[in-house]
Amino acid sequence: MTSVLDETAAPPGTAERPPPPSSRWWRIAVAVAIAVAFAWGYSGLGITVDQLRRAPGNIWTIMRLSWPPDFGTVIERGAIGKVFESVYIAWTGTVIAAVLSLPLAFLASNNVVPRWVRIPIRQLFIVVRAFPELILATIFLAVVGLGPWAGALALGIASAGTLGKWSSESIEEVPLGPVEAIDASGGRWLSGVRWGILPQVFPVIVAHWLFRFEINVRASAIFGLIGAGGIGGEISSQVQFRNWENVLAVLLMVIVMVLTIDGISGAVRRRILAGSTRSSSDANRELLGNLGGFLTRRRS
Amino acid sequence: MIEFDSVSVTYRGGVHALRDVSLTIDDGEFVVIVGLSGAGKSTLLRALNGLVPATSGSIRVDGTEVVGSKGAELRNVRRKIGMIFQTFNLATRTTVMNNVLMGRLASVPTWRSTLGFWPAADREIAFEALERVGIVDKAYVRASNLSGGQQQRVGIARALAQQPSVMLADEPVAALDPVTSHQVMEDLQRINRELGITTLINLHFLDLARRYGRRLIGLRDGELVFDGDIADVDDETFREIYGRAITPDDLLAMDGSDVRPGG
Amino acid sequence: MADAPSDAAEPSGAVRPRKPPLQLRTILIAAGLAAATVHAARQSGWEWGSFVSVWSNPLWERFWPIDWDFVLDRRNVLDPLVETFQIAIVATVIGCALALPVSFMMSQLTTPNRPTYIVVRSVMNVIRAIPDLLLAVILVAAVSIGAFGGAIALTVFSLAVLVKLFSETIDSADPRPLEAALATGGRHSAAVRAGVFPEVFPAYVAHSAYVFELNVRASVVIGLVGGGGIGRVIEAQRQFFRYDRILGILIVIFVIVAVIEQISDYIRRRVL
Repeated sequence: MTSVLDETAAPPGTAERPPPPSSRWWRIAVAVAIAVAFAWGYSGLGITVDQLRRAPGNIWTIMRLSWPPDFGTVIERGAIGKVFESVYIAWTGTVIAAVLSLPLAFLASNNVVPRWVRIPIRQLFIVVRAFPELILATIFLAVVGLGPWAGALALGIASAGTLGKWSSESIEEVPLGPVEAIDASGGRWLSGVRWGILPQVFPVIVAHWLFRFEINVRASAIFGLIGAGGIGGEISSQVQFRNWENVLAVLLMVIVMVLTIDGISGAVRRRILAGSTRSSSDANRELLGNLGGFLTRRRS
Repeated sequence: MIEFDSVSVTYRGGVHALRDVSLTIDDGEFVVIVGLSGAGKSTLLRALNGLVPATSGSIRVDGTEVVGSKGAELRNVRRKIGMIFQTFNLATRTTVMNNVLMGRLASVPTWRSTLGFWPAADREIAFEALERVGIVDKAYVRASNLSGGQQQRVGIARALAQQPSVMLADEPVAALDPVTSHQVMEDLQRINRELGITTLINLHFLDLARRYGRRLIGLRDGELVFDGDIADVDDETFREIYGRAITPDDLLAMDGSDVRPGG
Repeated sequence: MADAPSDAAEPSGAVRPRKPPLQLRTILIAAGLAAATVHAARQSGWEWGSFVSVWSNPLWERFWPIDWDFVLDRRNVLDPLVETFQIAIVATVIGCALALPVSFMMSQLTTPNRPTYIVVRSVMNVIRAIPDLLLAVILVAAVSIGAFGGAIALTVFSLAVLVKLFSETIDSADPRPLEAALATGGRHSAAVRAGVFPEVFPAYVAHSAYVFELNVRASVVIGLVGGGGIGRVIEAQRQFFRYDRILGILIVIFVIVAVIEQISDYIRRRVL
């Protein structure tokens, strides 16, 4: 059994070495292009050397001034309520978006509707998604007036665009089997959707809703900055008056709010996507048992 | 020279992968290691270059202690030990050349390897390694576009680029077809002969072991149960090492007819 | 009363099971969610009537006709838009450059040691929890009004987003080339560069393109809080209630963002 090597092996240095490939030049060109773009971008911002020099110092000064954070003042001013208000705005907005996006998502999926329906709906999503939520909120503020409702509406409509896109993508990924079975047995189109697609895709869609909720909580905190309700307004005021200890206090509250919601929502999302393996009667018995035990636990 | 002195390796979770193994390997030897899956073959090799930390005992390579060594000391030992893997372990999204140059990582400053400014001398070494395994024409081909046998050759070239004094091969042909397997085994034999590199090879297939091995080491449940010349090996020996009769799965060839001792 | 059914009587030998009861927990959760929604909506000022009255509000008239003279004048809109774009570019380039080493430190596969991993991960998680504009407000007050503060804020934002996406990619990368690189005796960073980086680089490019997309939108908005660019123009016009101009500006922005999105999607498809 001779080795292929016996035919192709040669004393080092005498075989044909290929030249380096031309892709190197492409990569250099791209790197140069990015550098040029950066230089152009930077030059247009009018950043002076002075600003650059003083920036770290300024930031450090503020960090020093903000410690220790002063929770007392902001709590007196109702910050905790505002934090909850931001959560409510996010929740309401997400519910509105979910209700709006669910039917639209089906109308935008290629395994549910024909092209002439799907394409305009997709365009609608794109148009809606082009507007940053804050801009939408600005518009709604003009029409609805100051307050959390403008924020909730803006969030609802803006999120509906993104949720519509995500949901329709998930719907399109559903395997065709159950729908075919329903078609084959003579079921109507709506039944095909209701029983063939919906059960399979529903957990994924709910996960999308929850993820969007996490994003919206951050967005609603920002809405306060322009007067659409929530904790943002408080930060704006405190920053305006340069009360850095208050600023840090509110910032920390926002961080806690976001991390908490992220944690709960993330856990629920994972649970939904993983599914449960226990039978429902077992689960009920266990729940009632736990509740009963909790309520009747002897205090000793 | 490689010395194992009462080496034991216990993984977290309590698995005793190696129990009190002692052996000595001289420079330039060609050693084949056999044993069931889980017998400790892979652990033995990986303890040698510190990829797996030994729990107790001492492992010395050319006088340097491997057990417990860290940082620059460990890296220096690894530099002299080339390793090829069952699954080739290539960076599939980049060129063959970049993979072989990995062998020079320990010999060039970090900034050079990070930015890709390899010195000409190191490129030359990489080219020579590729020529020695006969695939220099594929130098700038993306690694994932090569066949299994070619990828393993790249792995060998990578190890050769280190200019090592020891070569470790962890089941190098397990993922290859029979023809390619023989080619790779012959490559390894040739390299050992021509360059005098001490070679340790884990093998799953007994006919390959008998055909190419010179010295055979048998592991069973983490213990060293055989250490001797391949000529002294027969089916009975294998049965002792495996703890059971030989099955066709243990042989590469379909009918076992081309099995004969040699090296 | 459980008779063992005889095989001769029942076709499959089994007693028909009762339909599983609706999970109690599901009912409770659904009820809780409904209650929470109602409460949240009330607190947000929900009025059924507003859904209708919104559309017939006379204020909408302020949006039409669009003041194209203002919008298409270079100095009013196009120059600030250019500035917005420049903020996005600067923030993306710096943020993505910084994200590269940080992501490797934050991934279990490639982190040099445990303390680094924990510290970097925790810091980035906290930063990610700060809404980008809040950070902008603070930075703008700290550093200066205008593009500089906005650029810094967006850089931090880009860093946080990209690091999260990219470190997840690294976590799921093939560890075997890294093992091989370490076996040759290279330092940890060199081994990561040789063994992991080529595998994850396409994902890095794709994620960066996505971050750039996000930044273009975000930089529009950052001006609303003093970060420079078109946002400042919008805010100024809003204070004068010139919604006819705002609508025009928004249309221009929309067109540009749509184009950028197409380009970015194209890059991502080519690369991934």
